[in-house]
Amino acid sequence: MGMTYVPTTLSEALHLRAEKGARPLAGGSDMMVQSKRGIALAPEFPYPVMIITSIDELRGIRVLDDGSVEIGALTTAAEIAASEDVPWHVRMAASGMGAIALRNSATIGGNIGNASPKGDLPQPLIMLDASVVLSSIHGERRMLLDDFILGSKRTALSDDEIIRSVIIPPHDFTYSFYRKIGMRKANAISKLSLSAAALVKDGEILDFRASSGAAGPKVIRSQDAEKMLEGHMVSEIPELLPAFLEAWNNAISPHAMPLYRRNTTKRMLSFFLSEISSGAEEGIIGGGEE
Amino acid sequence: MPQTAIDDRIVRVDAKAKARGEAMYVSDYAFPGMLYAYMIRSSIPRGTIDDIRVPDLPEGYWFITYKDIPEEGRNELWMIQKDWRCFAEHDVKYVGETIGLLVGPDRNMLKYLADRIEIDYTEAEAAITIDDALALKGGPIIGEDNVLCQLYVEKGRPVEEVFREADSVFEETIETGFQEHVHLETNGAIVTIEDGKYTFYASAQCPFYIRKAVAGLLGLESEDIVVKQTTTGGAFGGKEHFPDVLCGPLLVAEHRIRKPIKLIFDREEDMLYSVKRHPSKITYRTALDKDGNILGIDGLVIYNCGPYLSGSFVVLQRGVFHANGVYDIPNTYVKGIGIATNTFPSDAFRGFGAPQTLYAIETHMEHIAKRFGIDPAEYKSRYFIKQGGETITNGHVVERVVLPEMLEQVLEKSDYRRKAATYAPGSGRGIGISFYNHGGAFTGNGEQSIIKAHARLVKTGNRVRIEVGSTEMGQGFQTTLRKIAASTLGISIDDVDYDNPDTSKVPDSGPTAASRSTMIVGRLIERCAEEMKERWGEGDFSVEKEYEHPDGHPWDQSTFRGDAYLGYGWGCCAVEVEIDSLTHEVNTVGIWSSHDIGKAIDELVVHGQVNGGIIQSLGYASMEKMENRNGHFRQSSMSDYVIPTSMDFPKQEWGLVDNPYQWGPKGAKGMGELVFNGADAAYIDAVERALGIEIHKIPMPPEDIEEALRDAQ
Repeated sequence: MGMTYVPTTLSEALHLRAEKGARPLAGGSDMMVQSKRGIALAPEFPYPVMIITSIDELRGIRVLDDGSVEIGALTTAAEIAASEDVPWHVRMAASGMGAIALRNSATIGGNIGNASPKGDLPQPLIMLDASVVLSSIHGERRMLLDDFILGSKRTALSDDEIIRSVIIPPHDFTYSFYRKIGMRKANAISKLSLSAAALVKDGEILDFRASSGAAGPKVIRSQDAEKMLEGHMVSEIPELLPAFLEAWNNAISPHAMPLYRRNTTKRMLSFFLSEISSGAEEGIIGGGEE
Repeated sequence: MPQTAIDDRIVRVDAKAKARGEAMYVSDYAFPGMLYAYMIRSSIPRGTIDDIRVPDLPEGYWFITYKDIPEEGRNELWMIQKDWRCFAEHDVKYVGETIGLLVGPDRNMLKYLADRIEIDYTEAEAAITIDDALALKGGPIIGEDNVLCQLYVEKGRPVEEVFREADSVFEETIETGFQEHVHLETNGAIVTIEDGKYTFYASAQCPFYIRKAVAGLLGLESEDIVVKQTTTGGAFGGKEHFPDVLCGPLLVAEHRIRKPIKLIFDREEDMLYSVKRHPSKITYRTALDKDGNILGIDGLVIYNCGPYLSGSFVVLQRGVFHANGVYDIPNTYVKGIGIATNTFPSDAFRGFGAPQTLYAIETHMEHIAKRFGIDPAEYKSRYFIKQGGETITNGHVVERVVLPEMLEQVLEKSDYRRKAATYAPGSGRGIGISFYNHGGAFTGNGEQSIIKAHARLVKTGNRVRIEVGSTEMGQGFQTTLRKIAASTLGISIDDVDYDNPDTSKVPDSGPTAASRSTMIVGRLIERCAEEMKERWGEGDFSVEKEYEHPDGHPWDQSTFRGDAYLGYGWGCCAVEVEIDSLTHEVNTVGIWSSHDIGKAIDELVVHGQVNGGIIQSLGYASMEKMENRNGHFRQSSMSDYVIPTSMDFPKQEWGLVDNPYQWGPKGAKGMGELVFNGADAAYIDAVERALGIEIHKIPMPPEDIEEALRDAQ
């Protein structure tokens, strides 16, 4: 059982991280559950822990000069869901995380660091090309979230680093789609999720992206599949669709419920693209609500 | 104080203490010098124990096993039979079987020690499913054929004869899964010695059951044990016999250690290592004439019981006795088999065996109707049993059956006829309907021959105390019973006391189970109150009454013939759904129900039961999936075994019909289980219509709908 520290500044936390190997604990909604030991027993961590909730430098949402949005690692799901500055897909994911109490404590840094394929926030963030800012006593580095998350519960975080923030580059989508299928309507872990978005100008698909959650060891994105649509006209979607869906199906690798996860992903993508090709009104496709 | 009338709307008597957090649950109790216990269990489903290596125990720590049972005691828990062992000895029969109890003052140390106990097993091949057990996988667990219990019932002409006359025969098999109770409060108990007697504080439905179950471990009589029920945060049948499994080892430990010992399961233990609803496999073979009229039904009902009987034979009997649903089928033969497997033993769960067969017969009837192009509501209503109609056990329905009136209520409120006619099969939208009943109280003459319930009212000044063994477990019985006493006596409910029972102080009024409390114990208290009212001027005195069996309910328990129940509650439910064509998520848009419970003692309590029972049933049909892989339950928390939240099902429209029951208090009969018994079938009917397919099992979460759609192609 390791020591528990309570740093109050980022610099203090980075030193504890580097010198004691302390792991950050914020909302605790993953770590406390993973290390629970039973009735009336405090969770016990097999490594040193630092409770970082009082480090204000890691909190908050701000819009950067280039239009990117930076979200501090300690920002809670509730704060993200309520912020107009945060892109729609991410707000949708944040507002569907767990129950109210959990959304008030769970943080974006924790949701990313936990790297569960069922995690709610990494899925839209990866579609949006978000990157993570990692801090250590030696400085900062920035990498694509898609590269940072290596697999189920595995990340590229170094032993001396902590997640400082997430930066979402600006984007301009003509069409957006988001669905999370939970085990029930509220307070549920994701069974499957999908984000999709397209930028269409004068009938041409300039940008198309999608990402699947809970459909493989990590969030799935397929640049190969996306490229099959980019540069093509909306009117070509019907003929491109079968090959696109097959490419996407090859990209995902659901372990449990493979039939359901594959077919539902296929139906959702097919629906989104068919709506676009049939001239749907711009905006959110499929009844996703604010 | 104003007098309380039976129809007054009142605040539940336990509401404030519970809302304020003042109610004392077993976990809240502490005694000087109290120790804690941690259960050491089998980690394999079947095999022999070769060696148990326990680390050196610090001073004040104990590891209690079957070896600690004294010579005069026997290693058995007396439920209905005595086959369930308190501790495994040289072999284990299911994952989670109690091997020992670690006891000591510090829970951290207990956990440390528990993690270091090593048990060597020689594992044998386990039988987990009904099919495994029928195939005698790994060799029989019980006897030569794994049959723990069986029975059959027969009505009308021999079915072979009837089947020879059939124009067609429709056969199908319908399966239901495990269901976990998810009572908010997990299982827990404390043992101590008070006034020289072994005394339990327990979260339990049936304090008198615990006495009987554990006394033999020490060679004692049940009167030598005292059980005090603590405020119980939900039970649903999961605390009927199961507290015995905690209290038995605690008693053996207490015999050695003689200090207060507390055992509380955490949620994971409560999910993985506790009883569940029996999974079932039910086959109906139905003989039909050319117009789709039913000539006869041949049924086979198989329940997965686990390796010990616990309450399974009674559960199976109730399943078989409800296998014809609410219908008067002219000729039937239904056989029931309780099969032994190496899963955690299955036991009581709201409905007690009836939900499985009712779900199956409703679905089967609906499938027949659809095959003949007849609306299921219309088809089923042709077979409604009537007053005087012969039941599946050759008894007769004594009361007036008002199903047609209930059906009308539901048809009208739900707009069923229009919706059923206009929603095309496979359109993504559907409405379904079901009918169900529930026999009140113990089977046959069990109330008279087995329980012989007693209840007592004690008058002190102007206050009256209820003394019964019945328990409040969240269902509202403290409110209901106090209301019956107060309104009969013509006093205020605030002048009536009713504490959690203490077996040394109250008479045994039987288990709080079988929807019998209001109907049987409520009537006893009503009779006590009627006498007390007449003698009110006599000063301080008490009135005790014994159960009296109403005339005209013949029953032979050896042949299962006669009136299986003293009366039935009846129900009708309609459910409307929309199904997302992309994700197969089912959105329930309407729930309508009508119930005949004789008379509602307290409308708010009844409303809570109706809402809760229906939602629990809808969870059973839709999302509550408990899988077992090689004896291990896969769902271990409330995030992977999900029960519905208020978001999942809309506000319900509910109704009651007035049909007072002759032998119940104020005309009331059982209702706590009835309201669980049928919404599942209405939901699946609606889902089938929305998808245009037939479904043969529950639960049906979206991924199972995906498979059903594939299989239907």
